[in-house]
Amino acid sequence: MSTDTPRGADLGPRRRILVVSAGLREPSSTRLLADRLSSAAVTSLSAQGIAADVEVVELREYAHDLADHLLTGFPNARLRPALDALGTADAVIAVTPIFNASYSGLFKTYFDLVEPDTLADRPVLLGATGGTGRHSLALEHALRPMFSYLHAVVVPTAVYAATEDWGVSGNGTGLVSRIDRAATELAALVATREPAAPADPFAGTASFEDLLRR
Amino acid sequence: MASVLLLSGSPAEQSRTTAVLGVVAERLRAATHSAHVLRIRDVPAADLLAARTSTPAVAATVDAVRAADALVVGTPIYKAAYSGLLKAFLDVLPEKALAGKAVLPIATGGTLAHLLAVDYALRPVLTALRAPHVLPGFFVLDRTVHIGQTGRAELDQDTARGLDASVDAFVTALPVRPSLARAS
Ligand SMILES: Cc1cc2nc3c(=O)[nH]c(=O)nc-3n(C[C@H](O)[C@H](O)[C@H](O)COP(=O)(O)O)c2cc1C
Ligand SMILES: Cc1cc2nc3c(=O)[nH]c(=O)nc-3n(C[C@H](O)[C@H](O)[C@H](O)COP(=O)(O)O)c2cc1C
Repeated sequence: MSTDTPRGADLGPRRRILVVSAGLREPSSTRLLADRLSSAAVTSLSAQGIAADVEVVELREYAHDLADHLLTGFPNARLRPALDALGTADAVIAVTPIFNASYSGLFKTYFDLVEPDTLADRPVLLGATGGTGRHSLALEHALRPMFSYLHAVVVPTAVYAATEDWGVSGNGTGLVSRIDRAATELAALVATREPAAPADPFAGTASFEDLLRR
Repeated sequence: MASVLLLSGSPAEQSRTTAVLGVVAERLRAATHSAHVLRIRDVPAADLLAARTSTPAVAATVDAVRAADALVVGTPIYKAAYSGLLKAFLDVLPEKALAGKAVLPIATGGTLAHLLAVDYALRPVLTALRAPHVLPGFFVLDRTVHIGQTGRAELDQDTARGLDASVDAFVTALPVRPSLARAS
């Protein structure tokens, strides 16, 4: 396929990147990594002429709602949009602190409550923070298998940031280049896909003609 | 005799995991050990998820782990691994909380395809908490567990037999000396 139409950032539909961050502390190094990843992804997409918006689900704020859902079997009105957002995003960036060599209980609980097909075929970038670099393989041993089970399309580069990687300026060179590589991989996946359909086809801004042409 | 704490990581009120742990507790008592089943769902989950370790209910549960000589860790399989609720509880434990304790992992799941989740997912977490001896995990297929009126589990024959063998191996790993920690 070829096209000679130049694509500016203002052409074509905007894409939505959903960030899920499971840090517990404030400030949270997990959130810091998540923000670095999402801004790198936006930059990468914009280099391809695709504009993107970032939405963040800070799981710490939903601890009570997730607990209620576990015990009652239903999401409350506050939690519902935070779960539904996964199903309508063009890409997901999921970042957890490493606790006891794996994702945190908060992170796992959120994904436990996701309907099985929600992430199917969706581009996902995985990140984790830890006190020590020795647990970086938790990304491959714990996170990746769960997202495979969910049929997500996980980019090859997962990003781990240990305390020492942040350094004084938070600019460890290894970390910076990994963030860029992972973000480029995510942007490439998003660029080759149709924009994700809104949850309710009539809720979007598409005209009736647009809908007929689908 | 040893003091054994059996932890259930199922959020369900009617739980196969908890029911299977009930059977294990009976077997342990028959072997003259003390056995106590603790449902993590009875600890305020919001505190666990936010890792608020200082609340009385969380602190009491952490103390129960500290006081036990050995643990049985039970979980339903969710999304090809242990439940998030179980992990939230393990995350509030202090560093090295399982040092010196034998641990028997038990999972219940809907498909045999996820039998390895015990070894691939749960075992590394228990090891990170410094459990020195994690016994081979036991996987129970959910449809082989039938919960009766009293909440007691009836197990299909193969499951019952496998579970017995697993509990026997666990019992031989329990400390024989009387535990002073338990006296309080
Ligand atoms: C209960 C607990 C267990 C932890 N276990 C690990 C671990 O196994 N490996 C590791 O590298 N860091 C571990 N850490 C350190 C955290 O992963 C690290 O501080 C993380 O970046 C915190 O993220 P936050 O600032 O977003 O809350 C642990 C921290 C806590 C509180
Ligand atoms: C949200 C959810 C996710 C599940 N995921 C899996 C799975 O990935 N693999 C599996 O074998 N069973 C899975 N199951 C089935 C349960 O593991 C199984 O029914 C288990 O016995 C439930 O234990 P409980 O009655 O103690 O809650 C899942 C069940 C639920 C509710």
